Amino acid sequence: MDGGKDIPPVRAAPQVGVDEWVASHGERREQRAGVLGRVQTELERVPRPAFYLGFGIAAAFLPVFTNNGYIIRVGFDTLLYMLLALGLNVVVGYAGLLDLGYVAFYGVGAFGYAMLASPKFGLHWDTLLIIPVVVVATAILGLLVALPSRRLVGDYLAIVTLFFGQFFVTVYQNGNHISVLGLTRGYDVTGGPNGIPNVDNFDLGGLKISSLQGYFYTALIFFMLALFIVYLVDQSRTGRAWKSLREDSLAAEMMGMPVARLKLVAFAFGAAIAGLTGTLFAGLNTAVFSADFDVPTLIIVYAMLILGGAGSLGGVILGALVVNVSLEVLRTPGHATWIFYVVLLATLLVKVRPWKWLAIVIGGTVGLGYAVHAIVSAAWPSSVGGQTSVGATLGRFLHGWVLHPTNPRIVGNITFVILILAILGLTLLHGWQRRLAMIPTICLAAFVWENRLVVEPSITRLILIGVILIVLMNARPQGLLGSARVEIV
Amino acid sequence: MNWNLFVTELTAGITHGCVYALIALGYSMVYGILKLLNFAHGDIYMVGSFIGLAIINLFGGATNVHVNVVLMLFLMFAAAMLGGGLLGVMIERFAYRRLRSAPRIAPLITALGVSFFLENAAQLILGAQQQSYNSFSWPSSPIALNGFVLPAQVHVSYAQIIVVAGTIVLVVALTLFVQRTQTGKAMRAVSFDREAAAMMGIDVDHVIVVTFFIGSALAGAAGVFNCISYQQVFPTMGFQAGLFAFTAAVVGGIGNLPGSVLGGLLIGLAEAFSIGYISSTFSQAIVFAILIAVMLVRPSGLLGRAVVQKV
Amino acid sequence: MLKRAGLITIAASVAALAIVASAVARPDTVAAASALSCKKGVSLGMLAPITGPAGSIGSDQLHWAEFYVTQWNKNKKHVKIKLVQGDTQLDPSKASTVAQSFASNGSIVGVIGPAGSDEVQAVAPILRKGGLAFASGSATRVSLTNGSWKGSFFRDVPNDGVQGPTAGAYMFSKLGLKSGDSVMVVDDQESYSTGLADIVGQNLSGKGVKVDRESISQKATDFSSLVAKVTSATKVVYLPFQLASEAQLFAQQLQAQGKTAIVFGSDGTFDSSKFTVNGSYISFFAPDVTTIAADASVVAAFKKQFPGATSPFGAPNYVLAQMYASAITTSCKDGKITRAELRKNFAKVSLTSTILGTPIRFTANGDLAGAKFHIFKIVNGKYETVQ
Repeated sequence: MDGGKDIPPVRAAPQVGVDEWVASHGERREQRAGVLGRVQTELERVPRPAFYLGFGIAAAFLPVFTNNGYIIRVGFDTLLYMLLALGLNVVVGYAGLLDLGYVAFYGVGAFGYAMLASPKFGLHWDTLLIIPVVVVATAILGLLVALPSRRLVGDYLAIVTLFFGQFFVTVYQNGNHISVLGLTRGYDVTGGPNGIPNVDNFDLGGLKISSLQGYFYTALIFFMLALFIVYLVDQSRTGRAWKSLREDSLAAEMMGMPVARLKLVAFAFGAAIAGLTGTLFAGLNTAVFSADFDVPTLIIVYAMLILGGAGSLGGVILGALVVNVSLEVLRTPGHATWIFYVVLLATLLVKVRPWKWLAIVIGGTVGLGYAVHAIVSAAWPSSVGGQTSVGATLGRFLHGWVLHPTNPRIVGNITFVILILAILGLTLLHGWQRRLAMIPTICLAAFVWENRLVVEPSITRLILIGVILIVLMNARPQGLLGSARVEIV
Repeated sequence: MNWNLFVTELTAGITHGCVYALIALGYSMVYGILKLLNFAHGDIYMVGSFIGLAIINLFGGATNVHVNVVLMLFLMFAAAMLGGGLLGVMIERFAYRRLRSAPRIAPLITALGVSFFLENAAQLILGAQQQSYNSFSWPSSPIALNGFVLPAQVHVSYAQIIVVAGTIVLVVALTLFVQRTQTGKAMRAVSFDREAAAMMGIDVDHVIVVTFFIGSALAGAAGVFNCISYQQVFPTMGFQAGLFAFTAAVVGGIGNLPGSVLGGLLIGLAEAFSIGYISSTFSQAIVFAILIAVMLVRPSGLLGRAVVQKV
Repeated sequence: MLKRAGLITIAASVAALAIVASAVARPDTVAAASALSCKKGVSLGMLAPITGPAGSIGSDQLHWAEFYVTQWNKNKKHVKIKLVQGDTQLDPSKASTVAQSFASNGSIVGVIGPAGSDEVQAVAPILRKGGLAFASGSATRVSLTNGSWKGSFFRDVPNDGVQGPTAGAYMFSKLGLKSGDSVMVVDDQESYSTGLADIVGQNLSGKGVKVDRESISQKATDFSSLVAKVTSATKVVYLPFQLASEAQLFAQQLQAQGKTAIVFGSDGTFDSSKFTVNGSYISFFAPDVTTIAADASVVAAFKKQFPGATSPFGAPNYVLAQMYASAITTSCKDGKITRAELRKNFAKVSLTSTILGTPIRFTANGDLAGAKFHIFKIVNGKYETVQ
């Protein structure tokens, strides 16, 4: 119907008889000209590992610059997510296998550590012994899970792994009375809903790690090691074989790649990294519960991976950083409001050209806001009785520009639905109609944000993650640092 | 042989199975046409339930409904199916349409994003509290409690009869639509080979919109069915039901409509019997184990067609 | 060549990091243990499962606390209190992260929550290190107040050690339960429920009753399969559910199947708008908020600010906010407040009349003093106190 209009245009129209890459030579040369182009060329000459190293060093300075426990804790959580995304990158990004049961291995690692280093079974092994044992055990488990699924492709693999994952979750949650086929009495393996508490701290052969900073550095070292190993594997024959598997598994098989074996190895590798992450998790939290190894965590890790770009190591780092830090920052209404308006302005600056139109849109929004505010507050005084989410200058501006009813719940809900419809309608318009329609939409968005969304930051940040995923996948399916691929179905 | 337990589990399993079957049909239809696992489907089911609840509240709330119950039921179904269908169409238009040629993980992640969005928006607007249809207390209604008693003291409620009868009606209507009408033929063609169908002059966009509408309408109806017999409505109900319905679609052969119905009934019965006879704690795990077993023996599902990979 | 140089650089830097790490691994230092001026107002942190599996409970707790704070702040002479919410999603590791943010936030002087007993165990070391008092309105595990967190942890609900035996004793004394009878105990796979179910189950089986211990996921909406397992010999079905609507559904399906077993619920099912099946019993630590005449205006005002249903886990958080407000006023008499000062004053707060209908004060270990459970029977859709 209108299929052609919304699909983004192809880069350069293909010419008959000329290779696409050759044809775009002129375009590439243009890109290299100028200062930015020179910088880009120089950056591309730097070997990738240098960037990862740079990240590692920068991260190492975090606890030096700040003593704030919360920031270090968020840093630690981000590193854990980076590790998880790294493992998932091997399975999804390199080998192209859609693994939806990945976090189950995370749980195996955590519970494994907890069982070997807590009063539960009376074992208190040295961490230097536990980690290899747990990693190998998780890898073997990954192998076992992959074994029946090695003949499955695409979506069937996704389905089976999803259910393996759910199966594990059920075992974790009800592991306090596992009986073999109802014949033996119930054995308490995973503690059920009460989990395994009082897990020992890391004890690396005498070096006890009990502080936040200690765990942060341990996590950083583990991550850099894992990154290093994955980078090496990526450059090796196995990495290339995985990529051929991802691009076209049938062709790879015909070229002589041991497809089934590659799948098994990829699964096991990813599972091993997840197991390692699990031990770190158990070490810091000193108690393990089943809640963390379920689908919501899986969705977040996938979001990080895809946002950064599957198949790209830098993407793993960037994706985890962006998503986790956003989730944490959005918890506080004050910060969230600043970010909202900054992002709004930035989007307008980037998307609305020429400058004349930008001025019209911004001017119109501000004007419309004040006009509506004046009219409505004159008629209904209760429409300005509420509070703004930020103080100081921004707060004062907002108080005058946007209505703040004293009881915003019902009005807020209705306008939220209207806002969604308005934004969807905005995508259907084009040209000057779209730009004019932006004005009331932005006013509406500010109203809903101030009165409904920012008042419940816990729900809003999840809504925003959902929206970011939808928008990003539609605008740039390959993620921030990924490379565009055409999938052969 | 405890007939009471057996027959109760049987009726519970069939009722639940019908609900799963309806949701699974939606999954199957969309997968057949677009090869897309629509994770947001369970949330359309949830929205359908809430629409039904809104209709009840419109007519006075559960305890003092002031119109004929049959009329209200009919309105609930109509509104839920229409609302669900429209929501499905909107999701397709704005979230999935651009991603038809993107790598398969992109629409999957978008579906997850839509699901996240719907669940949390529902919590924001409607609150996280569990609400109830309270269909057992509808005044002067023959629903639910006043069922009839089978031998062996088994009670069957009218709500369960409505669910099963309604499912049969909807499935028959769907089968007739797919087998006998022009659009149905077009749907089958597009699910077989999209490009060839386009070249034969079929408007693929239109067919996809119709598929989404019908699939989502079925999910909306399933929402109302579930809640008149099991009452509970809450924003995160879509996930659990969606997971089981998804299992059902896969067990029956995803993309295959009779397979989805069969799968739904099987999963419903498996869940009921495993709670009754094996263990209520591990009933979920047992259902998943069944799925994995089926997948290993017959990877394309019970009634599915083995897919031939073209080089 | 380039690749090898890169590898060597990486290996060397990892080693360097290891050295730096071991040198810098010093313990976490406490943020803001200093005095805060009361003039601009103080902040209270709230840890609750606002989204996620227990979202209905957490958001309700949050709303009740926010409601009290809004009412308190209306009086300009009161010290202004700001409630900072922290979503734990009923996950102890996320609760730890949020608790860490509270501990590191200088303007927060006390914490309400967390809601789950597991979360309390996870956040206790972090909050105690930060010197914060934390009071829960719903964590009922007995071991939490064994004295190891004296002066830091408080709760204004009685623990399972009081509720379980009370329920068991009532079943024997008033419901005609005898040794040799059958009882079905069903938990909803959350730690609140399993803890209570275990206590009651052991209590009953210790007295010779045959206990059929079942478990069903809180996410399940159909109990008919479990109901089918209730035989005519089952005298009582004990449902320590967190959600009253689930208990209602179970009881309705029980009646629909023609079973004669009596349903006995715990304080999580105490909700006269949701659980109304006649002939059922419920144990609760206070009279029904919605039936106390003095509370009518409070409940009405609450419903105006937060329309929609509520749950029994909400009101205790209102009371906690009230106690914090009283302690803050006492601490702010000299214009400054510290976390240690608030902890001491909070432990001493004693309210003679609260919306819960009972006076509230803490024991030395942080438990609710004088806690006892009332037993209610549902008659004609209304709750009647029978003990």
